[in-house]
Amino acid sequence: MNSEYINILLERYWNCETTLEEEKELQDFFSGVGVPEDLEQYIPLFSYIRMEQSVTLSKNFDNKLKAALEDTDKNRYVTIRIYTPLLRIAASVLLLVGLGTGLFFITRQNNKPHFTEKFEDPNAVMQQATYALEKLSNALQVSEAASMQTIRDIDDLNIDWSSIDSLSNLLDDDMDDSLNNTVEVKKDGLNKIGNL
Amino acid sequence: MHSDVTFFSFNRHYIMSIDSFHKIILPLKDKLFRLAYSIVREQAEAEDIVQDLLLKLWSRKEDWNYIDNLEAYCFRATKNMALDRLASQAIRKTGTLDKEKEELYFVEHQSPHSEMVRKEQHYLIERCIDELPENQRLVFHLREIEGFSYKEISESLSISGDLVKITLHRARKRMKELLSEYK
Repeated sequence: MNSEYINILLERYWNCETTLEEEKELQDFFSGVGVPEDLEQYIPLFSYIRMEQSVTLSKNFDNKLKAALEDTDKNRYVTIRIYTPLLRIAASVLLLVGLGTGLFFITRQNNKPHFTEKFEDPNAVMQQATYALEKLSNALQVSEAASMQTIRDIDDLNIDWSSIDSLSNLLDDDMDDSLNNTVEVKKDGLNKIGNL
Repeated sequence: MHSDVTFFSFNRHYIMSIDSFHKIILPLKDKLFRLAYSIVREQAEAEDIVQDLLLKLWSRKEDWNYIDNLEAYCFRATKNMALDRLASQAIRKTGTLDKEKEELYFVEHQSPHSEMVRKEQHYLIERCIDELPENQRLVFHLREIEGFSYKEISESLSISGDLVKITLHRARKRMKELLSEYK
């Protein structure tokens, strides 16, 4: 390659008029042997470009990337994407089971008697029952005596029962009157509706 | 019923995206790495950025339908991620510079003279490029290292085609000046 052509190419290179192919030619020229002394100053630039073009990622990059990609795929897509509908179903089943057991226990609690006692010996049952019944009859006797006493006390007061009876008769008459009035009013209302 | 429908569309997306991931995105990985490296200047960090980007893209594959140029999008995203990292590591950067100097010292004592000179020149150019403004550096990288057309660069950096040409012109001019300075 003659240096005149290279000089022209270089001039165009500095002015950004070269094509990519011509730039490649320049790189080839300056990376080769036999570069004229007056152009030696440009060798470092083009050899730098040539060297940098061959820089690549280290060999184990692909393996590292593959491992990292598999990791993200596992995390992101398998668990979240695919299983989301299943998770929804599981959540609703859990909710139903929870509600079911809750209701079951609540109803069972209501059916339970408040307290229970268990006896093995029939005599003990008899004893307990008689004791309870005696207690009940005692209480009944006490209350009977008390009410008899109250009746006797009232009799001792010598109240004029006839006047009280007449009072209650008066009240009954009033009640009858007001009842008749309401019936008449209702009849009126029905008639009016019928006329309409 | 509803879950069946989502499951189906998910499957369709999945197959489509596996395809475009392998055909469009994965082949870009070295280019994306070089772009990230041109910004952060650290192998491990740049690889980390590319892996992060690919994972992010993979996890949002449903959105790819809304991106009209997936390839350009990858370059834009890589550029932004790398610049973010660089900003968050502004303090650590001084440390890495020292490490590089150390490497050079090591080279000087171990390798033949020509190898040392070559490495030194390489480092010199790298420093020159690092001195360029950010947009000039990015355009320069995409054109010279990746051999992108002006249209591809304008899409990858979302700037106009004219601006790409102007920026590249400035970058090359500056490189020419720097090269004559170090002569």
